[in-house]
Amino acid sequence: MNRTLRRSLLLLLTVLLMAGFGCAKKQVDQVDAYDEDELAMTESERQAALQIGNGVVYFEYDSFTLSAQAKNTLTQKAQVLRQVPQLRTTIEGHCDERGTQEYNLALGERRARAAYEFLVNLGVGAGQMDIVSFGKLHPAVSGGGEAAWAKNRRDEFKVYKPRQ
Amino acid sequence: MTQRFFSFATTLSALLLLFCLGAARLEAAPLTVEVVGAGGNHATVVQAAPSGNGARAAELQKAVGFNLSILPIVRLLNPNGVPGGAAVSSPSGEGVDFNPFVLAGAQLLITTHWSDASQVELRCFSTADGSFMFGNRYSVAGGENGVLDVAEKFCADFLDAVIGNGNLFRSTLAFVKTDGARKKDVWAVRVNGRNLRRLTNMRGEALSPSWSPDGGRVIFTHIDKRSHGLGVYSMGAGTVTRMKFAGNTVIGPAYMPDGRVAVSLTDGRNPSIFVLGHGLQKEGRLDSNSAIDVSPSVDASGSLMAFTSSRLGGPQIFLKDLRNGAVRRISQVGRYNSDPSISPDGTLIAYARQEGGGHRIYVQDMVTGQERQLTFGPGSDEEPAFAPDNYFIAFMSTRNGKKELYLTTRYGGEPRRIPTGPGDAAFPAWSPARK
Repeated sequence: MNRTLRRSLLLLLTVLLMAGFGCAKKQVDQVDAYDEDELAMTESERQAALQIGNGVVYFEYDSFTLSAQAKNTLTQKAQVLRQVPQLRTTIEGHCDERGTQEYNLALGERRARAAYEFLVNLGVGAGQMDIVSFGKLHPAVSGGGEAAWAKNRRDEFKVYKPRQ
Repeated sequence: MTQRFFSFATTLSALLLLFCLGAARLEAAPLTVEVVGAGGNHATVVQAAPSGNGARAAELQKAVGFNLSILPIVRLLNPNGVPGGAAVSSPSGEGVDFNPFVLAGAQLLITTHWSDASQVELRCFSTADGSFMFGNRYSVAGGENGVLDVAEKFCADFLDAVIGNGNLFRSTLAFVKTDGARKKDVWAVRVNGRNLRRLTNMRGEALSPSWSPDGGRVIFTHIDKRSHGLGVYSMGAGTVTRMKFAGNTVIGPAYMPDGRVAVSLTDGRNPSIFVLGHGLQKEGRLDSNSAIDVSPSVDASGSLMAFTSSRLGGPQIFLKDLRNGAVRRISQVGRYNSDPSISPDGTLIAYARQEGGGHRIYVQDMVTGQERQLTFGPGSDEEPAFAPDNYFIAFMSTRNGKKELYLTTRYGGEPRRIPTGPGDAAFPAWSPARK
Protein backbone atom coordinates (compact mmCIF):
# COMPACT_ATOMS: atom_id res chain seq x y z
CA MET A 1 0.00 0.00 0.00
CA ASN A 2 1.53 3.30 -0.96
CA ARG A 3 2.09 6.09 1.51
CA THR A 4 -0.56 8.42 0.13
CA LEU A 5 -3.23 5.75 0.23
CA ARG A 6 -2.21 4.71 3.72
CA ARG A 7 -2.39 8.30 4.92
CA SER A 8 -5.78 8.76 3.30
CA LEU A 9 -7.10 5.67 5.05
CA LEU A 10 -5.69 6.82 8.37
CA LEU A 11 -7.25 10.23 7.89
CA LEU A 12 -10.59 8.61 7.06
CA LEU A 13 -10.29 6.42 10.15
CA THR A 14 -9.47 9.47 12.23
CA VAL A 15 -12.48 11.38 10.92
CA LEU A 16 -14.73 8.40 11.59
CA LEU A 17 -13.36 8.11 15.10
CA MET A 18 -13.98 11.78 15.76
CA ALA A 19 -17.48 11.59 14.34
CA GLY A 20 -18.19 8.48 16.37
CA PHE A 21 -16.88 9.70 19.66
CA GLY A 22 -17.34 13.43 19.46
CA CYS A 23 -13.69 14.33 20.01
CA ALA A 24 -12.51 17.82 19.37
CA LYS A 25 -10.93 17.92 15.95
CA LYS A 26 -7.56 18.96 17.32
CA GLN A 27 -7.37 15.98 19.62
CA VAL A 28 -6.71 13.44 16.93
CA ASP A 29 -3.60 13.35 14.86
CA GLN A 30 -2.25 10.93 12.32
CA VAL A 31 0.40 8.44 13.16
CA ASP A 32 3.33 10.18 11.54
CA ALA A 33 2.01 13.56 10.48
CA TYR A 34 4.16 15.60 12.82
CA ASP A 35 7.00 16.37 10.50
CA GLU A 36 7.46 18.15 7.18
CA ASP A 37 5.92 21.23 8.73
CA GLU A 38 8.87 23.58 8.55
CA LEU A 39 9.77 26.36 6.11
CA ALA A 40 13.30 27.50 5.30
CA MET A 41 14.43 30.54 7.30
CA THR A 42 15.92 33.73 5.95
CA GLU A 43 19.42 34.67 7.11
CA SER A 44 18.09 37.15 9.67
CA GLU A 45 15.64 34.58 10.97
CA ARG A 46 18.45 32.05 11.25
CA GLN A 47 20.48 34.50 13.33
CA ALA A 48 17.48 35.10 15.58
CA ALA A 49 16.92 31.35 15.91
CA LEU A 50 20.54 30.91 16.98
CA GLN A 51 20.17 33.59 19.64
CA ILE A 52 17.00 31.98 20.97
CA GLY A 53 18.44 28.47 20.87
CA ASN A 54 21.70 29.41 22.58
CA GLY A 55 21.65 29.45 26.34
CA VAL A 56 20.28 26.51 28.25
CA VAL A 57 18.28 27.04 31.44
CA TYR A 58 19.36 24.78 34.35
CA PHE A 59 17.48 23.59 37.44
CA GLU A 60 18.16 22.18 40.88
CA TYR A 61 17.37 18.53 41.69
CA ASP A 62 13.64 17.71 41.70
CA SER A 63 12.91 21.42 41.19
CA PHE A 64 11.33 23.54 38.47
CA THR A 65 12.06 26.89 40.09
CA LEU A 66 13.75 29.41 37.78
CA SER A 67 17.02 30.75 39.20
CA ALA A 68 18.09 34.37 38.78
CA GLN A 69 20.48 33.26 36.06
CA ALA A 70 17.70 31.35 34.32
CA LYS A 71 15.45 34.40 34.38
CA ASN A 72 18.24 36.52 32.91
CA THR A 73 18.73 34.00 30.09
CA LEU A 74 15.00 33.91 29.41
CA THR A 75 14.75 37.70 29.38
CA GLN A 76 17.35 37.83 26.61
CA LYS A 77 15.46 35.19 24.64
CA ALA A 78 12.19 37.10 25.07
CA GLN A 79 13.67 40.20 23.47
CA VAL A 80 14.56 38.22 20.33
CA LEU A 81 11.36 36.17 20.29
CA ARG A 82 9.21 39.30 20.24
CA GLN A 83 11.03 40.46 17.11
CA VAL A 84 10.37 37.26 15.12
CA PRO A 85 6.74 36.30 15.72
CA GLN A 86 6.85 34.21 12.56
CA LEU A 87 9.25 31.78 14.29
CA ARG A 88 8.08 29.16 16.73
CA THR A 89 9.98 27.75 19.70
CA THR A 90 9.64 24.32 21.26
CA ILE A 91 10.69 24.46 24.90
CA GLU A 92 12.07 21.06 25.88
CA GLY A 93 12.08 20.06 29.56
CA HIS A 94 14.73 17.54 30.63
CA CYS A 95 15.76 15.74 33.85
CA ASP A 96 18.79 13.92 35.16
CA GLU A 97 18.95 10.13 35.18
CA ARG A 98 18.11 9.49 38.83
CA GLY A 99 14.33 9.50 38.88
CA THR A 100 11.93 7.15 37.12
CA GLN A 101 10.65 7.80 33.61
CA GLU A 102 7.04 8.78 34.21
CA TYR A 103 7.65 11.09 37.17
CA ASN A 104 10.54 12.68 35.27
CA LEU A 105 8.25 13.31 32.30
CA ALA A 106 6.00 15.26 34.66
CA LEU A 107 8.95 17.13 36.20
CA GLY A 108 10.30 17.98 32.74
CA GLU A 109 6.88 19.30 31.79
CA ARG A 110 6.90 21.63 34.78
CA ARG A 111 10.40 22.84 33.90
CA ALA A 112 9.37 23.60 30.34
CA ARG A 113 6.15 25.24 31.53
CA ALA A 114 8.04 27.42 34.02
CA ALA A 115 10.05 28.91 31.15
CA TYR A 116 6.96 29.19 28.96
CA GLU A 117 5.04 31.14 31.57
CA PHE A 118 7.98 33.44 32.29
CA LEU A 119 8.29 34.21 28.58
CA VAL A 120 4.54 34.84 28.25
CA ASN A 121 4.80 37.31 31.14
CA LEU A 122 7.54 39.08 29.20
CA GLY A 123 5.21 39.55 26.26
CA VAL A 124 6.07 36.60 24.05
CA GLY A 125 2.98 35.30 22.28
CA ALA A 126 1.63 32.06 23.78
CA GLY A 127 0.99 30.82 20.26
CA GLN A 128 4.66 31.25 19.45
CA MET A 129 5.73 28.49 21.82
CA ASP A 130 5.15 24.79 22.45
CA ILE A 131 6.36 22.79 25.40
CA VAL A 132 7.42 19.15 25.39
CA SER A 133 8.95 17.07 28.15
CA PHE A 134 11.49 14.36 27.45
CA GLY A 135 12.02 13.47 31.11
CA LYS A 136 15.34 11.64 31.34
CA LEU A 137 15.18 10.26 27.80
CA HIS A 138 17.75 12.62 26.26
CA PRO A 139 20.60 13.58 28.57
CA ALA A 140 22.92 16.31 27.32
CA VAL A 141 25.83 14.65 29.08
CA SER A 142 26.19 10.93 29.64
CA GLY A 143 27.43 9.37 32.87
CA GLY A 144 26.59 9.82 36.53
CA GLY A 145 27.70 12.24 39.22
CA GLU A 146 26.52 15.74 40.06
CA ALA A 147 28.58 17.39 37.30
CA ALA A 148 26.68 15.42 34.63
CA TRP A 149 23.34 15.55 36.42
CA ALA A 150 23.51 19.36 36.76
CA LYS A 151 23.94 19.69 32.99
CA ASN A 152 21.00 17.40 32.31
CA ARG A 153 18.40 19.17 34.48
CA ARG A 154 17.55 21.76 31.86
CA ASP A 155 15.30 23.48 29.36
CA GLU A 156 16.43 23.60 25.75
CA PHE A 157 14.92 25.84 23.08
CA LYS A 158 14.42 24.57 19.52
CA VAL A 159 13.36 27.13 16.93
CA TYR A 160 11.66 26.54 13.58
CA LYS A 161 9.58 28.37 11.05
CA PRO A 162 6.21 26.70 10.85
CA ARG A 163 4.27 26.21 7.66
CA GLN A 164 1.17 28.30 8.29
CA MET B 1 14.38 -14.70 54.32
CA THR B 2 12.53 -16.41 57.11
CA GLN B 3 9.47 -14.35 56.37
CA ARG B 4 9.66 -15.10 52.67
CA PHE B 5 10.14 -18.78 53.35
CA PHE B 6 7.22 -18.78 55.69
CA SER B 7 4.98 -17.02 53.19
CA PHE B 8 5.82 -19.47 50.45
CA ALA B 9 5.41 -22.48 52.69
CA THR B 10 2.10 -21.10 53.89
CA THR B 11 0.91 -20.64 50.34
CA LEU B 12 1.77 -24.16 49.42
CA SER B 13 0.60 -25.79 52.59
CA ALA B 14 -2.77 -24.11 52.22
CA LEU B 15 -3.10 -25.60 48.77
CA LEU B 16 -5.91 -28.06 48.22
CA LEU B 17 -5.59 -29.81 44.92
CA LEU B 18 -8.75 -30.73 43.09
CA PHE B 19 -8.52 -33.42 40.48
CA CYS B 20 -12.10 -33.79 39.41
CA LEU B 21 -12.16 -31.06 36.78
CA GLY B 22 -11.60 -31.61 33.07
CA ALA B 23 -11.95 -34.76 31.03
CA ALA B 24 -8.25 -34.94 30.31
CA ARG B 25 -7.26 -34.62 33.95
CA LEU B 26 -5.64 -37.79 35.21
CA GLU B 27 -7.21 -39.55 38.20
CA ALA B 28 -5.73 -38.89 41.61
CA ALA B 29 -6.78 -38.71 45.20
CA PRO B 30 -7.18 -35.16 46.57
CA LEU B 31 -4.39 -34.22 48.93
CA THR B 32 -2.77 -31.29 50.59
CA VAL B 33 0.81 -30.66 49.57
CA GLU B 34 3.40 -28.85 51.57
CA VAL B 35 6.65 -28.14 49.81
CA VAL B 36 9.47 -27.12 52.11
CA GLY B 37 13.17 -27.30 51.79
CA ALA B 38 16.54 -25.68 52.14
CA GLY B 39 15.82 -23.40 49.19
CA GLY B 40 13.32 -21.56 51.33
CA ASN B 41 11.33 -19.71 48.73
CA HIS B 42 11.60 -22.08 45.81
CA ALA B 43 10.82 -25.69 45.04
CA THR B 44 13.45 -27.99 43.56
CA VAL B 45 12.17 -29.81 40.50
CA VAL B 46 13.59 -32.57 38.34
CA GLN B 47 12.23 -33.95 35.09
CA ALA B 48 12.22 -37.73 34.72
CA ALA B 49 13.35 -39.18 31.40
CA PRO B 50 10.34 -39.30 29.05
CA SER B 51 8.82 -42.64 28.10
CA GLY B 52 6.64 -43.91 25.26
CA ASN B 53 6.59 -43.22 21.53
CA GLY B 54 7.22 -39.52 21.45
CA ALA B 55 9.30 -38.50 18.47
CA ARG B 56 9.26 -35.00 19.89
CA ALA B 57 9.94 -36.01 23.48
CA ALA B 58 13.27 -34.20 23.73
CA GLU B 59 11.71 -31.05 22.30
CA LEU B 60 8.92 -31.06 24.89
CA GLN B 61 11.34 -31.92 27.70
CA LYS B 62 13.43 -28.89 26.81
CA ALA B 63 10.45 -26.54 26.48
CA VAL B 64 8.93 -27.58 29.83
CA GLY B 65 12.34 -27.29 31.48
CA PHE B 66 12.88 -23.81 30.08
CA ASN B 67 9.43 -22.63 31.15
CA LEU B 68 10.04 -23.88 34.69
CA SER B 69 13.51 -22.36 34.80
CA ILE B 70 12.15 -18.83 34.38
CA LEU B 71 9.95 -19.19 37.46
CA PRO B 72 11.51 -17.58 40.55
CA ILE B 73 9.77 -20.22 42.67
CA VAL B 74 11.48 -23.13 40.91
CA ARG B 75 15.03 -24.40 40.92
CA LEU B 76 15.34 -26.92 38.11
CA LEU B 77 17.82 -29.71 38.87
CA ASN B 78 20.01 -31.52 36.37
CA PRO B 79 18.61 -35.06 35.94
CA ASN B 80 22.20 -36.33 35.74
CA GLY B 81 22.40 -35.69 39.47
CA VAL B 82 19.87 -38.42 40.23
CA PRO B 83 21.67 -41.57 41.46
CA GLY B 84 21.04 -44.38 38.98
CA GLY B 85 19.53 -42.00 36.42
CA ALA B 86 16.27 -40.07 36.05
CA ALA B 87 14.23 -42.82 34.35
CA VAL B 88 11.10 -44.02 36.18
CA SER B 89 9.60 -47.50 36.00
CA SER B 90 6.08 -46.14 35.66
CA PRO B 91 5.09 -42.57 34.65
CA SER B 92 1.92 -42.98 36.70
CA GLY B 93 4.09 -43.25 39.78
CA GLU B 94 3.06 -46.77 40.70
CA GLY B 95 5.98 -48.67 42.19
CA VAL B 96 8.40 -45.81 41.56
CA ASP B 97 11.29 -45.51 44.00
CA PHE B 98 11.37 -41.81 44.82
CA ASN B 99 14.44 -42.08 47.06
CA PRO B 100 17.02 -41.34 44.34
CA PHE B 101 15.13 -38.14 43.51
CA VAL B 102 15.06 -37.16 47.18
CA LEU B 103 18.79 -37.83 47.36
CA ALA B 104 19.31 -35.57 44.33
CA GLY B 105 17.55 -32.81 46.28
CA ALA B 106 14.34 -32.79 44.25
CA GLN B 107 11.08 -31.99 45.99
CA LEU B 108 8.97 -32.36 42.87
CA LEU B 109 9.27 -34.94 40.09
CA ILE B 110 7.72 -34.45 36.67
CA THR B 111 7.11 -37.53 34.53
CA THR B 112 6.31 -37.53 30.82
CA HIS B 113 4.69 -40.40 28.95
CA TRP B 114 3.85 -40.32 25.26
CA SER B 115 0.83 -42.56 24.55
CA ASP B 116 1.50 -42.02 20.87
CA ALA B 117 3.02 -39.33 18.69
CA SER B 118 0.21 -36.86 19.39
CA GLN B 119 -0.80 -37.65 22.98
CA VAL B 120 1.33 -36.97 26.02
CA GLU B 121 0.70 -37.34 29.73
CA LEU B 122 2.55 -35.10 32.16
CA ARG B 123 2.41 -35.71 35.91
CA CYS B 124 3.88 -34.04 38.96
CA PHE B 125 4.73 -35.90 42.18
CA SER B 126 5.94 -34.88 45.60
CA THR B 127 9.09 -36.94 46.18
CA ALA B 128 8.82 -36.77 49.96
CA ASP B 129 5.96 -39.28 50.07
CA GLY B 130 5.48 -40.14 46.42
CA SER B 131 2.09 -38.47 46.35
CA PHE B 132 0.59 -37.47 43.03
CA MET B 133 0.07 -33.67 42.84
CA PHE B 134 -1.55 -33.24 39.46
CA GLY B 135 -1.40 -34.49 35.92
CA ASN B 136 -3.02 -34.02 32.54
CA ARG B 137 -3.19 -35.64 29.14
CA TYR B 138 -2.45 -33.20 26.32
CA SER B 139 -3.00 -33.44 22.58
CA VAL B 140 0.07 -32.32 20.68
CA ALA B 141 -0.69 -30.50 17.43
CA GLY B 142 1.74 -30.75 14.54
CA GLY B 143 4.18 -28.04 13.59
CA GLU B 144 6.58 -26.04 15.65
CA ASN B 145 3.90 -24.66 17.96
CA GLY B 146 2.36 -27.98 19.01
CA VAL B 147 5.01 -28.91 21.54
CA LEU B 148 5.48 -25.32 22.73
CA ASP B 149 1.73 -24.95 23.31
CA VAL B 150 1.67 -28.12 25.41
CA ALA B 151 4.68 -26.96 27.42
CA GLU B 152 2.88 -23.71 28.24
CA LYS B 153 -0.37 -25.46 29.09
CA PHE B 154 1.41 -27.85 31.41
CA CYS B 155 3.30 -25.03 33.12
CA ALA B 156 0.04 -23.09 33.53
CA ASP B 157 -1.42 -26.22 35.16
CA PHE B 158 1.74 -26.50 37.27
CA LEU B 159 1.22 -22.96 38.60
CA ASP B 160 -2.49 -23.64 39.08
CA ALA B 161 -1.43 -26.48 41.39
CA VAL B 162 1.47 -24.80 43.16
CA ILE B 163 0.31 -21.20 43.67
CA GLY B 164 -3.35 -21.56 42.77
CA ASN B 165 -3.16 -19.53 39.55
CA GLY B 166 -1.52 -20.38 36.22
CA ASN B 167 -2.30 -17.14 34.42
CA LEU B 168 1.37 -16.27 34.05
CA PHE B 169 1.47 -18.62 31.07
CA ARG B 170 -1.88 -17.38 29.77
CA SER B 171 -0.79 -13.75 29.48
CA THR B 172 1.31 -11.76 27.04
CA LEU B 173 3.66 -8.95 27.98
CA ALA B 174 3.68 -5.68 26.11
CA PHE B 175 6.87 -3.74 26.63
CA VAL B 176 8.98 -0.97 25.12
CA LYS B 177 12.07 -1.81 23.14
CA THR B 178 14.73 0.69 22.12
CA ASP B 179 15.30 0.58 18.40
CA GLY B 180 18.03 3.11 17.66
CA ALA B 181 18.55 6.70 18.72
CA ARG B 182 15.37 8.40 19.85
CA LYS B 183 13.24 5.48 18.70
CA LYS B 184 11.33 3.18 21.00
CA ASP B 185 8.46 0.94 19.98
CA VAL B 186 5.92 -1.30 21.65
CA TRP B 187 6.64 -5.01 21.38
CA ALA B 188 4.94 -8.10 22.74
CA VAL B 189 6.33 -11.36 24.10
CA ARG B 190 5.27 -14.30 26.24
CA VAL B 191 6.94 -14.62 29.62
CA ASN B 192 9.19 -17.39 28.25
CA GLY B 193 10.35 -15.26 25.31
CA ARG B 194 8.02 -16.95 22.87
CA ASN B 195 6.22 -15.08 20.11
CA LEU B 196 8.41 -11.99 20.38
CA ARG B 197 7.00 -9.45 17.96
CA ARG B 198 6.91 -5.76 17.17
CA LEU B 199 3.56 -4.02 17.54
CA THR B 200 4.42 -0.44 16.55
CA ASN B 201 6.95 1.14 14.23
CA MET B 202 6.82 4.90 14.60
CA ARG B 203 9.19 7.81 14.57
CA GLY B 204 9.72 8.92 18.15
CA GLU B 205 9.51 7.11 21.44
CA ALA B 206 6.78 4.93 22.89
CA LEU B 207 6.54 4.52 26.68
CA SER B 208 4.15 3.07 29.28
CA PRO B 209 2.03 0.54 27.35
CA SER B 210 -1.21 -0.74 28.91
CA TRP B 211 -3.62 -3.43 27.66
CA SER B 212 -7.34 -2.94 27.26
CA PRO B 213 -9.44 -5.27 29.44
CA ASP B 214 -10.39 -7.36 26.40
CA GLY B 215 -6.79 -7.57 25.19
CA GLY B 216 -7.75 -5.97 21.89
CA ARG B 217 -5.81 -2.73 22.25
CA VAL B 218 -2.60 -1.40 23.75
CA ILE B 219 -2.39 2.27 24.62
CA PHE B 220 0.87 4.08 25.27
CA THR B 221 2.56 7.46 25.52
CA HIS B 222 4.21 8.51 22.27
CA ILE B 223 6.76 11.31 22.23
CA ASP B 224 7.99 12.88 19.01
CA LYS B 225 10.26 15.85 18.67
CA ARG B 226 7.56 18.37 19.53
CA SER B 227 4.73 16.69 21.31
CA HIS B 228 3.34 13.97 23.48
CA GLY B 229 0.55 11.84 22.06
CA LEU B 230 -1.65 8.97 23.20
CA GLY B 231 -0.99 6.00 20.95
CA VAL B 232 -3.68 3.37 20.52
CA TYR B 233 -2.58 0.11 18.92
CA SER B 234 -5.33 -2.18 17.65
CA MET B 235 -4.35 -5.85 17.87
CA GLY B 236 -6.87 -6.87 15.24
CA ALA B 237 -6.05 -4.26 12.61
CA GLY B 238 -2.38 -3.87 13.50
CA THR B 239 -2.71 -0.09 13.20
CA VAL B 240 -1.96 2.86 15.47
CA THR B 241 -3.97 6.00 16.09
CA ARG B 242 -2.16 8.90 17.73
CA MET B 243 -4.12 11.51 19.63
CA LYS B 244 -2.91 14.84 20.96
CA PHE B 245 -4.36 16.67 23.92
CA ALA B 246 -4.37 20.31 24.92
CA GLY B 247 -1.34 21.03 27.08
CA ASN B 248 0.81 18.68 25.03
CA THR B 249 1.51 16.25 27.88
CA VAL B 250 0.47 12.58 28.01
CA ILE B 251 2.08 10.45 30.74
CA GLY B 252 1.49 6.88 31.89
CA PRO B 253 -1.90 5.87 30.43
CA ALA B 254 -3.59 2.92 32.12
CA TYR B 255 -6.74 1.13 31.11
CA MET B 256 -9.43 0.79 33.76
CA PRO B 257 -11.46 -2.45 33.92
CA ASP B 258 -14.51 -0.78 32.35
CA GLY B 259 -12.48 0.16 29.26
CA ARG B 260 -11.96 3.81 30.17
CA VAL B 261 -8.44 5.19 30.53
CA ALA B 262 -6.70 6.97 33.40
CA VAL B 263 -3.82 9.16 32.21
CA SER B 264 -1.84 12.22 33.26
CA LEU B 265 -2.55 15.26 31.14
CA THR B 266 -1.83 18.93 31.73
CA ASP B 267 -4.83 21.14 32.04
CA GLY B 268 -3.41 24.44 33.14
CA ARG B 269 -0.37 24.31 35.34
CA ASN B 270 0.39 20.77 36.49
CA PRO B 271 0.17 17.15 35.28
CA SER B 272 -3.01 15.64 36.77
CA ILE B 273 -4.78 12.33 36.32
CA PHE B 274 -7.80 12.49 34.03
CA VAL B 275 -10.28 9.82 33.02
CA LEU B 276 -10.89 9.38 29.30
CA GLY B 277 -14.15 7.81 28.16
CA HIS B 278 -14.55 4.95 25.73
CA GLY B 279 -13.97 7.35 22.84
CA LEU B 280 -10.87 8.63 24.65
CA GLN B 281 -12.54 11.98 25.25
CA LYS B 282 -11.85 13.74 28.55
CA GLU B 283 -14.48 12.91 31.16
CA GLY B 284 -12.95 14.66 34.13
CA ARG B 285 -10.02 15.14 36.46
CA LEU B 286 -9.68 12.61 39.25
CA ASP B 287 -7.98 14.85 41.76
CA SER B 288 -7.49 18.59 41.88
CA ASN B 289 -4.32 20.01 43.41
CA SER B 290 -1.25 21.93 42.34
CA ALA B 291 1.18 19.01 42.49
CA ILE B 292 2.34 16.38 40.00
CA ASP B 293 0.03 13.35 39.82
CA VAL B 294 1.18 10.54 37.51
CA SER B 295 1.29 6.77 36.96
CA PRO B 296 -2.27 5.60 37.73
CA SER B 297 -2.72 1.86 38.31
CA VAL B 298 -6.25 0.55 38.85
CA ASP B 299 -7.28 -2.78 40.39
CA ALA B 300 -9.52 -5.30 38.61
CA SER B 301 -12.65 -4.12 40.41
CA GLY B 302 -12.10 -0.54 39.25
CA SER B 303 -12.50 0.78 42.77
CA LEU B 304 -8.90 1.41 43.82
CA MET B 305 -6.27 3.48 42.04
CA ALA B 306 -2.63 3.74 43.10
CA PHE B 307 -0.65 6.70 41.76
CA THR B 308 2.44 8.83 42.31
CA SER B 309 2.02 12.34 43.64
CA SER B 310 4.32 15.16 44.74
CA ARG B 311 1.56 16.76 46.87
CA LEU B 312 3.66 16.39 50.01
CA GLY B 313 6.96 17.39 48.40
CA GLY B 314 8.85 14.61 46.66
CA PRO B 315 7.14 11.79 44.80
CA GLN B 316 5.24 9.31 47.01
CA ILE B 317 2.68 6.57 46.43
CA PHE B 318 -0.96 7.28 47.19
CA LEU B 319 -4.15 5.24 46.94
CA LYS B 320 -7.47 6.70 45.87
CA ASP B 321 -10.74 4.93 46.58
CA LEU B 322 -12.68 5.71 43.42
CA ARG B 323 -15.98 4.87 45.14
CA ASN B 324 -15.81 7.63 47.73
CA GLY B 325 -12.88 9.76 46.60
CA ALA B 326 -10.79 9.16 49.73
CA VAL B 327 -7.03 9.44 49.21
CA ARG B 328 -4.39 8.05 51.55
CA ARG B 329 -0.62 7.93 51.47
CA ILE B 330 0.89 4.46 51.02
CA SER B 331 4.70 4.82 50.94
CA GLN B 332 6.01 6.06 54.29
CA VAL B 333 9.76 5.49 53.95
CA GLY B 334 12.19 7.25 51.64
CA ARG B 335 12.04 10.54 49.74
CA TYR B 336 11.35 9.18 46.28
CA ASN B 337 8.80 6.43 45.66
CA SER B 338 7.24 6.06 42.21
CA ASP B 339 5.99 3.62 39.52
CA PRO B 340 3.13 2.00 41.48
CA SER B 341 1.43 -1.19 40.30
CA ILE B 342 -1.61 -2.38 42.23
CA SER B 343 -2.33 -6.13 42.21
CA PRO B 344 -5.52 -7.01 40.33
CA ASP B 345 -7.15 -8.11 43.59
CA GLY B 346 -6.33 -4.74 45.15
CA THR B 347 -4.48 -6.16 48.14
CA LEU B 348 -0.88 -5.22 47.25
CA ILE B 349 0.92 -2.26 45.73
CA ALA B 350 4.41 -2.65 44.27
CA TYR B 351 6.56 0.43 43.63
CA ALA B 352 10.13 1.59 43.10
CA ARG B 353 12.03 3.40 45.86
CA GLN B 354 15.09 5.47 45.11
CA GLU B 355 18.04 4.39 47.24
CA GLY B 356 21.78 4.95 47.14
CA GLY B 357 22.65 2.83 44.14
CA GLY B 358 19.42 3.17 42.17
CA HIS B 359 15.80 2.15 42.66
CA ARG B 360 14.57 -1.01 44.39
CA ILE B 361 11.16 -2.66 44.17
CA TYR B 362 9.04 -2.78 47.33
CA VAL B 363 5.56 -4.11 47.91
CA GLN B 364 3.08 -3.00 50.54
CA ASP B 365 0.26 -5.18 51.83
CA MET B 366 -2.90 -3.08 51.93
CA VAL B 367 -4.41 -5.27 54.62
CA THR B 368 -1.55 -5.33 57.12
CA GLY B 369 0.27 -2.16 56.06
CA GLN B 370 3.51 -4.15 56.04
CA GLU B 371 6.16 -3.26 53.48
CA ARG B 372 8.58 -5.78 51.99
CA GLN B 373 11.66 -5.21 49.83
CA LEU B 374 11.51 -7.44 46.78
CA THR B 375 14.66 -6.58 44.81
CA PHE B 376 18.20 -5.71 45.78
CA GLY B 377 19.88 -4.65 42.54
CA PRO B 378 22.62 -4.13 41.52
CA GLY B 379 21.81 -1.33 39.13
CA SER B 380 18.32 0.07 39.21
CA ASP B 381 15.04 -1.87 39.47
CA GLU B 382 12.02 0.10 38.23
CA GLU B 383 8.58 -0.14 36.63
CA PRO B 384 7.09 -3.12 38.50
CA ALA B 385 3.98 -4.70 36.95
CA PHE B 386 1.73 -7.19 38.71
CA ALA B 387 0.78 -10.19 36.59
CA PRO B 388 -2.92 -11.12 36.38
CA ASP B 389 -2.29 -13.87 38.97
CA ASN B 390 -1.57 -11.32 41.76
CA TYR B 391 1.61 -13.32 42.42
CA PHE B 392 4.36 -12.64 39.89
CA ILE B 393 5.79 -9.19 39.21
CA ALA B 394 7.71 -8.15 36.10
CA PHE B 395 10.07 -5.20 36.32
CA MET B 396 12.82 -3.41 34.44
CA SER B 397 16.35 -3.73 35.77
CA THR B 398 19.80 -2.53 34.75
CA ARG B 399 21.54 -5.19 36.88
CA ASN B 400 23.40 -6.54 33.87
CA GLY B 401 24.33 -3.20 32.40
CA LYS B 402 21.43 -2.69 30.02
CA LYS B 403 17.71 -2.36 30.55
CA GLU B 404 16.08 -5.79 30.64
CA LEU B 405 12.88 -7.32 31.99
CA TYR B 406 12.90 -9.63 35.00
CA LEU B 407 10.36 -11.68 36.89
CA THR B 408 10.05 -11.90 40.66
CA THR B 409 7.19 -12.68 43.03
CA ARG B 410 5.20 -10.83 45.66
CA TYR B 411 7.55 -12.50 48.16
CA GLY B 412 10.70 -11.41 46.34
CA GLY B 413 11.73 -14.62 44.58
CA GLU B 414 15.15 -14.61 42.92
CA PRO B 415 14.66 -12.53 39.75
CA ARG B 416 14.72 -14.42 36.44
CA ARG B 417 15.33 -12.64 33.14
CA ILE B 418 12.50 -12.53 30.62
CA PRO B 419 13.94 -13.05 27.12
CA THR B 420 13.21 -10.02 24.92
CA GLY B 421 15.94 -10.19 22.25
CA PRO B 422 18.48 -7.47 21.48
CA GLY B 423 17.83 -3.85 22.46
CA ASP B 424 16.95 -2.26 25.78
CA ALA B 425 13.60 -3.44 27.16
CA ALA B 426 11.42 -1.53 29.65
CA PHE B 427 7.84 -0.88 30.81
CA PRO B 428 6.45 -4.43 31.10
CA ALA B 429 2.64 -4.62 30.98
CA TRP B 430 0.64 -7.86 31.27
CA SER B 431 -2.30 -8.64 29.04
CA PRO B 432 -5.48 -10.07 30.52
CA ALA B 433 -5.21 -13.86 30.84
CA ARG B 434 -6.57 -15.91 27.96
CA LYS B 435 -9.47 -18.17 28.91
